[in-house]
Amino acid sequence: MGLESRLGDNILTTVADKFINWGRKNSLWPLTFGTACCGIELMGTIASRYDISRFGAEVLRFSPRQADLLVVAGRIVIKMGPVLKKIYDQMLEPKWVMALGACATSGGVFDTYGVIQGIEQFIPVDVYVPGCPPRPEDIINGLLKLQKKIERDTVLAHRR
Amino acid sequence: MDSLEGNQVVVKLRATFPDSIIEVKEFRGDITVTIKKEDLLAIMQFLRDDEELRFNYLVSISGVDYLKMEGVEMRFALIYHLCSFKNSRRLAIKTFVPEDSLEIDSVYPLWKTADWQEREIYDLFGISFKGHPALKRIFLPQDFEGHPLRKDYPLEGRGERSRFDYNER
Amino acid sequence: MADEVKETPTERMVLNFGPSHPATHGVFRNILELDGERILDVEVEIGFLHSGFEKLGENRSYNQFIPIADRMNYVSPLNNDIGYVLAVEKLLGIKVPPRCQYIRVIMCELNRIADHLVSIGMHAVDIGAMTVFLYAFKQREIIYDILEFVTGSRMNNCYPRVGGLVADVPEGFEEKVTDFADHFLPTVDDMDRLLTRNRIWVDRNKGIGAISAEESISWGLSGPILRAAGVERDIRKDEPYSSYDHFDFEIPVGTRGDSYDRYLVRMEEMRQSNRIIQQAIANLPGGEINVDDPKIILPPKDRVYHTIEGLIHHFKLIMEEHGFQPPKGEIYLATEVPNGELGFFIISDGTNKPYRIHVRAPSFINYSVFPQLVKGHMISDVVAIISSLNIIAGELDR
Repeated sequence: MGLESRLGDNILTTVADKFINWGRKNSLWPLTFGTACCGIELMGTIASRYDISRFGAEVLRFSPRQADLLVVAGRIVIKMGPVLKKIYDQMLEPKWVMALGACATSGGVFDTYGVIQGIEQFIPVDVYVPGCPPRPEDIINGLLKLQKKIERDTVLAHRR
Repeated sequence: MDSLEGNQVVVKLRATFPDSIIEVKEFRGDITVTIKKEDLLAIMQFLRDDEELRFNYLVSISGVDYLKMEGVEMRFALIYHLCSFKNSRRLAIKTFVPEDSLEIDSVYPLWKTADWQEREIYDLFGISFKGHPALKRIFLPQDFEGHPLRKDYPLEGRGERSRFDYNER
Repeated sequence: MADEVKETPTERMVLNFGPSHPATHGVFRNILELDGERILDVEVEIGFLHSGFEKLGENRSYNQFIPIADRMNYVSPLNNDIGYVLAVEKLLGIKVPPRCQYIRVIMCELNRIADHLVSIGMHAVDIGAMTVFLYAFKQREIIYDILEFVTGSRMNNCYPRVGGLVADVPEGFEEKVTDFADHFLPTVDDMDRLLTRNRIWVDRNKGIGAISAEESISWGLSGPILRAAGVERDIRKDEPYSSYDHFDFEIPVGTRGDSYDRYLVRMEEMRQSNRIIQQAIANLPGGEINVDDPKIILPPKDRVYHTIEGLIHHFKLIMEEHGFQPPKGEIYLATEVPNGELGFFIISDGTNKPYRIHVRAPSFINYSVFPQLVKGHMISDVVAIISSLNIIAGELDR
């Protein structure tokens, strides 16, 4: 990152790690790129029964410049691929990607000429949530796993 | 079969266009009339404007590729489903399109809904429509090659779904 | 000074609206040509969710297409399933027992209420009324609970099969549905009180996106859009299927054909659907739920596990190149889904897989009128019009 990455592995950097990761994981701002059925389950997760704002991810931003978690929910077809890549490129570091559902993970039921068999072929994915569609509890489980992954992050440049 | 030939629609069609009708069939209550491709627009206009028939609603246009079905001579066919609100009646008009001249009149002057439906058939089958306001692909990217719903096109495609050269295009 | 402003030369601007946009519920792109805030022309580009459903249908057997048909209109999946299964049953020439027909009607109407709740909820969120969205989704969760209780999953249920249903409804179904139907109307009244005579709602929706009855027929519109324009057409009344003629309900018809009338038609349709559910659940007949034809229906599981004939019967219907084979022919069947007329045109060549399935998707046909509706309005009206048309992208692109 900045000056911290050159301080070496000592108590200053570990405390900085803990603090920065705590801040980041509890305030993930999702960009819900919902295309199909998984988008409806995502809306259900955001509504009042399975409230996702308990975990900090309340502020939904539709602009890639203001979000840090890209949630790809639904099937991605060949016409939509360039759009998704552009939005991923426009997001600022640090950013994470969650592939929600079977279609984003690997094409799902649709082994056809139009559907891209998994978004990992052109953007790096951090967390996969299986299901068709996944229940809201599964989506929250995916978010918690992502939070655990962020906890292990570090400011030291050589360690990352 | 007598009830089919005595049906009002069939009687009127045979009376007005005696040479254009190739076949009249009935299956599970659906009547399908096969006509010659050249008389399509005239027959459609008659069906829409006739006082008793009043088929004022074009429900859908379906394209079919009969390559893998035995007993059918020409490969491509179009089926127009019509509905009459007043008489609560449905009718299907079928016309074959020869493979060496994949072109047919557009019914956009009669029903505006034909605009997107004909674009869909052009995109997925490759049949062109004369007189259509703006015929271009509707579902697939403009530079896509091939027409996927034809029977000789594989389900998994020919590699378009694995091309990730987005930054060059 | 005012004269100087009038003489200021202006230029036309091109604005891209979508495909990734919060207010378009679904992925489609509109390219607007603007003069200030007024829209002069719009070009629509769709196909951002085209997955090849119809080609997939040619490579799957009749029962295997049911989960795929689910995923077209994912807000009310059971309507698609039941429409498809009715079309295949017409092809086979069979009729299911009355208990199955009544259960299918209850499922269809529950899904119709769910679809209209989403439509009105998202319409309200776009105009700015967040509370209505939360009320609507709370009722949707109750409907999801009932569907999960019966079918095992919240969405994309895949509950009917050709010739009947997967399984009969479990104990306690009637109490749950009666409980829901008796307590649903106060929520509709709440939403009504919040929106119908609200100054902002009326101003943003009245006179926006109006279309006349003749134009609607020429553009092939159906569902609430056609009824709001003044045409009294509902397939449940004009060509009844699955014993809809046993129930007493009305069809709301609008006058102006604008966004406000579409909203009113949907609200009234929810009340009528509630009426149908109450009548169906009060008169639910007993008996079998599958048609009595061993060539189509799977045998019960204890026969499969304990007798060799049961196993062979199951094998002959399930395995790859087997399964029931309808006679050769071409049929078309239309049902009334929340968005309009959903039609399935199926061609059978005598094998266990359909030769061609063509889906007449209502969202696709309804969206084609959008360029005409939006000309002359302002940018914020685009949002109101798209939401009132209730476009579901899965059905739009198939």
